[in-house]
Amino acid sequence: MTAVGDPPRPAQGARPALGQFVRATTTPAKLRLLLAGLVALCLVWGAVAAWVVSQRAAGANDAVSSSETLSLDGQQIYRALSDADATAASAFLSGGLEPINGTARYQADIARAAAHLESATAAAGHSPAARDLATLSAGLPVYTGEVQTARADNRLGLPLGAAYLREASALMRGTLLPAARHVSAQADAQLAAASGQATGLPLALVLLVAAVIVGYVLYRAQRWLLLRTHRRLNPGLALASVAGVISLLWLAIALTVARADLLQAREHGSTPVAALARADIAALQAHADESLTLIDAQGDDSFQADYLAIQHRLGPGPGTLLTNAASTAQGSPGGGSARAATTAATAWYRAHKTVRALDDNGQHTRAVQLVTTQGPGHSSTLFGHLDGSLTSAIAADQAVFRVHATAGRNAFTGLEIGVIVLSLIMAAGCALGLSRRLAEYR
Amino acid sequence: MKPRRWLSLPPLLIVAVAMACWAVPGSAAVQSAAVQSAAAHRLAPAAVRATPSCNPVASSLRPTGPPRVTPGSFMAKIRARGYLIAGVSQSTYPFGFVDPLNGNTEGFDIDVVRAIAKAIFGKPNVEFKAISDAQRIPEVQSGAVDIVAHTMTINCARLQDVDFSTVYFEAGQQVLVLKNSRAKSLAGLGGKKVCATAGSTSIANIKAAPSHPIAVPVTNFTDCLVLLQQDDVAAISTDNDILAGLAAQDPWTKIVGPVFTSEPYGLAISKQHPDFVQFVNAVLQQMRTDGQWAASYAHWVGTPVPAPPPARYKD
Repeated sequence: MTAVGDPPRPAQGARPALGQFVRATTTPAKLRLLLAGLVALCLVWGAVAAWVVSQRAAGANDAVSSSETLSLDGQQIYRALSDADATAASAFLSGGLEPINGTARYQADIARAAAHLESATAAAGHSPAARDLATLSAGLPVYTGEVQTARADNRLGLPLGAAYLREASALMRGTLLPAARHVSAQADAQLAAASGQATGLPLALVLLVAAVIVGYVLYRAQRWLLLRTHRRLNPGLALASVAGVISLLWLAIALTVARADLLQAREHGSTPVAALARADIAALQAHADESLTLIDAQGDDSFQADYLAIQHRLGPGPGTLLTNAASTAQGSPGGGSARAATTAATAWYRAHKTVRALDDNGQHTRAVQLVTTQGPGHSSTLFGHLDGSLTSAIAADQAVFRVHATAGRNAFTGLEIGVIVLSLIMAAGCALGLSRRLAEYR
Repeated sequence: MKPRRWLSLPPLLIVAVAMACWAVPGSAAVQSAAVQSAAAHRLAPAAVRATPSCNPVASSLRPTGPPRVTPGSFMAKIRARGYLIAGVSQSTYPFGFVDPLNGNTEGFDIDVVRAIAKAIFGKPNVEFKAISDAQRIPEVQSGAVDIVAHTMTINCARLQDVDFSTVYFEAGQQVLVLKNSRAKSLAGLGGKKVCATAGSTSIANIKAAPSHPIAVPVTNFTDCLVLLQQDDVAAISTDNDILAGLAAQDPWTKIVGPVFTSEPYGLAISKQHPDFVQFVNAVLQQMRTDGQWAASYAHWVGTPVPAPPPARYKD
């Protein structure tokens, strides 16, 4: 420690040299300072631009590859599992030997669910959906085991089989289907975040501020040189300016094009797809309710109550899932099918009412027939129309999403490397231009 | 603060009981029962609920003769409708269950219902409504079903809510465990999970057992067997004949211990239709004497066939 009243003295030699450089009183010193500053600025510009581009490209890439795949897989898992549950239930519904096509359909459903589960797990990585996918992976073998036990007991003529089926169905409806629904919902949220990152304004603003600073400094530097050296053009700085303008133009065009494409992908692609998928999942759930009401030998009407609750949510009507889906799909290629789905839903509800009336009046067999076999006015056929309209609308809008989102992502191709190379050219230009001037003072 | 009026009930009850003891003996029982039941409603419905003593096996109405559909009777209304509506189990082998091989509802209880429908229509026109144990009394009271045939024990508490036919089957509670279990009765199952259906007398008996097993209520007895097979419960305890039906579906189970309750089964009918109770009793009497009861017993429960439970009436 130094004593009080004894001020520290600057070391001789070091301070004056540094002071001379910073104060830059002489023209060569000023030129040296300018050279270092410009080179650093060009490199910083390159780094900022490359970072912004990489963020945007990552968002676009995430939207196209992982989030969209995950959302799609979640929907497919839900569809397959819900159909498996309804198929297993209706196999028992008919009594007697299980129809062989029912068994085949159930097995195809399980295989489909397993395949999508695998690809979803690969796409999910460490995203929040991973936990739901783990629930599905662990629960699916338990479910199939219980259905198999039910089937074996049924073959032996044991009433115990129906109890195993109920237990399996409870696992499906209580744990597995909600997990599948969750995967889709989380993937949709992830997709929205990714597409926000790819199209949002804050990053573009960062870029704009950087461009303004670089442009202003380059302009001032050239002006100063012009006044100081009375030379009209400094080729090095001119090269740097041209490279800067090129990188700015490229960035502006690429970001604008990508943004337009990604917004288009969202508006006519992922947004209607998510709304349609929500409606489709609700419809599938109600369809399973319809079968389970007929098989559930408990006399409680919880499945029918669930059906009516879903019918209420599904619509059509203001604020309902189908009406929302149809209005968000308006103007997209899936718009027509989405509108058709609303009329199909109404027809299906009517058929369901007939089924309930028959079942409530002791005509169980006829009711089962309407739900399990195809035919004009049959509930199963009319549900097929609703489901078919929704799936074709989803497929059409998904194609739109793919085309636009891929175009949006491709707009970033080469841009990141491009801006880095251009910024190096800018730095080299500045160094070249100023070192020439500097050489004149030697 | 709101006055909590129920707090004043226990003293009121003591006063009422004291007054009742002091008053005429005949009316005392009625009065105290009325006060107790009112108090029970407010305090803890099921647990404290006071039930006047009765003789469950001799609580039904004597038929006036052979089964006859008299004009204006409830049977005439059922006949006009075209079918009898019966609340049954579809998962209690061998009393009421859906045969997986043909999808038909069958069993001992079902045979009895068919015989009643036959006495009304000449043919067994029945609509079977699957109900759970807990739904039996509400379904009868609301009139959703005409009759409940569902391994239902006649007891004094239930007689408050519905009427019963004469006893048509006698059962008693026992315990079913896996073959490798060392438990011999509920006494050896203290702290262990024991399964029965919600709303049954069996689950109440498990809860009341001095060894304090953990009662696990489910919807159907087959659900209990699923839990036993998955090792989620240590035992199932209910009527021996239902346990025999479960044991028939899993050779790795065994019935153990003594029969520790008496469960006389009756058919539940709304208190509004005493004529139908009499009619059903007449049908049951026919079944006891013409061999139908014995044939059904032999088919579903097995041989040797005991004598059918005798018909005993209130009067």
